[in-house]
Amino acid sequence: MRRGGFAGGALLVSMLWGLGQASAQEPIVFGVITPLSPPGETALGQLAKRGAELGAEYINEKGGVLGRKVALSVHDSAGKNEQAVAAYRRLVSSEKAVAVFGFIHSGANIAVNEVAKEMGVPTMGTQTGASDVTAKRYDIAFRTHAVDPPRAATWLGWIKKNNWKRVSVLAETTDYGIGLAKETEKQNKDKNLGLEIQTIMFDRTTTDLLPQLLQVKAFKPDAIVNVGVGQPLDLMITQAHTVGLLPGTAMVTSYDAPARPQFWQLHGDKGVGVSFIAFYSPKSELSEVGKEFAKRYQAKFNEPPVYAALNGFANALVFAAAIEQAKSTDPKAMIKALEEGSFTGWSTTPVTFPRAEGALWHNWSPPLMVLSYSAKDQTPATATVGYVLGE
Amino acid sequence: MIFSAELLIQTLLSGLMVGVLYALMALGITFIYSIVKTINWAMGEFYMIGSYIQFVAVHFLLGPNWWWLAAILAASGTFLLGLVLEPILIKPMYARPLQRRDDYATVVTIALLLLLRNLAVALGGPNQYRPESTLPVVWVGPLPQEGARVAASIFAVLALGSFWLVIKKTWVGLALRAAAQNRVAVQTAGVDVFRLDAIAFAIGVALAGFAGALLAPLFMVFPTNGAVTTVKGFEIIVIGGLGSIPGALIGGLLLGLVESLGAAFISSPYQNVYGFLLVILVLILRPNGLFGERGREA
Repeated sequence: MRRGGFAGGALLVSMLWGLGQASAQEPIVFGVITPLSPPGETALGQLAKRGAELGAEYINEKGGVLGRKVALSVHDSAGKNEQAVAAYRRLVSSEKAVAVFGFIHSGANIAVNEVAKEMGVPTMGTQTGASDVTAKRYDIAFRTHAVDPPRAATWLGWIKKNNWKRVSVLAETTDYGIGLAKETEKQNKDKNLGLEIQTIMFDRTTTDLLPQLLQVKAFKPDAIVNVGVGQPLDLMITQAHTVGLLPGTAMVTSYDAPARPQFWQLHGDKGVGVSFIAFYSPKSELSEVGKEFAKRYQAKFNEPPVYAALNGFANALVFAAAIEQAKSTDPKAMIKALEEGSFTGWSTTPVTFPRAEGALWHNWSPPLMVLSYSAKDQTPATATVGYVLGE
Repeated sequence: MIFSAELLIQTLLSGLMVGVLYALMALGITFIYSIVKTINWAMGEFYMIGSYIQFVAVHFLLGPNWWWLAAILAASGTFLLGLVLEPILIKPMYARPLQRRDDYATVVTIALLLLLRNLAVALGGPNQYRPESTLPVVWVGPLPQEGARVAASIFAVLALGSFWLVIKKTWVGLALRAAAQNRVAVQTAGVDVFRLDAIAFAIGVALAGFAGALLAPLFMVFPTNGAVTTVKGFEIIVIGGLGSIPGALIGGLLLGLVESLGAAFISSPYQNVYGFLLVILVLILRPNGLFGERGREA
């Protein structure tokens, strides 16, 4: 009886030890919440996902994090706030994710942050521009993307450089669109730029922008700022051609959608003359890991990487480095490491997350520039650099 | 907001043209309801399928000059799909003595919506596509319009006219109208009412597929492109009256006008709200819609 009890105890201990060993081998989960189905900006979502996957692959090849492998759990937000929030809850509660990134839509990122500040696991905006993503100064909220002020400053700088006076801003009624429209007007006033700005907001579910574009045409602008995301951005380009605004009037899109490989399939000749805010040009200098990523990306997808993919990759690397620095996956320790550390991303500029004022809180901003297409089938590598912020 | 007589005329024309296209979408929904007594919540997905067929046919098979043939193929393809799906999904509603037919139809067509949408994501990916169009910009009075939109409007009017002719001048049309009034009486007269249901369902979804094909160069091709058009379709049938074909046309035109004028001259962000305000107004003044009648059931 006693021998049997001893044997049973030994078995139990060995089973528990075995379980402990198995737990030590369990991967560290990084959550990716990104739009992979409409009405989200699916092209960017796919690119961010590609980058994140290559990031996890790269980390694991280098030995993982704290001796453990990194596993990605990818969830589709479809660009919808509620879907993103549900994904975050599931990632943190069920899948035990220690970091969540991949956000493309500001609204989804902002909504998730409201839950994340309670649940504690840090988030990183991969390509979310609205100020409120970080301006609320939540401990958990980080971002590696251009916020509203420098972005508006970039197109305003481009407009001033070209001596244009009348500007139409067509913006969707989302956190992103409203924020950028307001910021453009604010900077025009604060910096005494003297521009005459017509601002028209529109519902992003609209299928017809003709009424708005007729108003724009009547205003006779020198330049149009296209603040649509996804389908409305493309609809605006098409219909601006129809009413005769393009190609005669300059148009800049508020993000790098024209860098997508599908741009020319969608627009053909009508894409010529379109300019766009870009955060990376293939002419930009890359860090060593950035170069390695570009090489792998080209080999795997047979095309050069674009910004969303670079950022998805860098987000994974930054979180992995923060865990190594913190020597823990405890959220508070990770947040402290992110705030105090300096990390290597795709750019030669170190990635840091200072406790700065306003939207610059926990924010690393990439370089900003305006690229213009002057011929069909151009790529960002062959596009003309129209303006670089800060130069 | 800027106002001028020219801008007003341009906006009116723009609203009328988009209204015709809305009407085409609503016609399918209202027609199916009038015969099969079922609201097809997956109507937008047939619009989506039509747009995908148009893209594949134009981009890979026929080329942009044959866009009209592609549109006919899209309508035919969705018609056939409707013929296949109706006996499987809708017919059981009548074949068995179900007590809650409306609930059954709602659940089945919403399930179909989700299935078709996810199938589109799986097969075509989440990206947007656009079938090439070589049609030049056309001036409609003072309003420049995409050639594809003008063609879509003309084809929509032709489709509405053809539809009216079929309904009013053919035996099938007579049978369909009879079934719309009294299914039992039609069955008593020896007509296969279930076959009529399948034909009506197929015609209805073919109208949606045709609209999707015609509008694909403008509104692009992606898995959820039918969602908004479905909402518009339902707004229109509330305005025009459920089951009324003239109501679908007038409702579509009114909705197009209200949205365009409101967006241009009142406040642009509320473009979709103006349509709902019109719906509320109609519901207050004429709860059955402008051309709707109180329902009769045998």
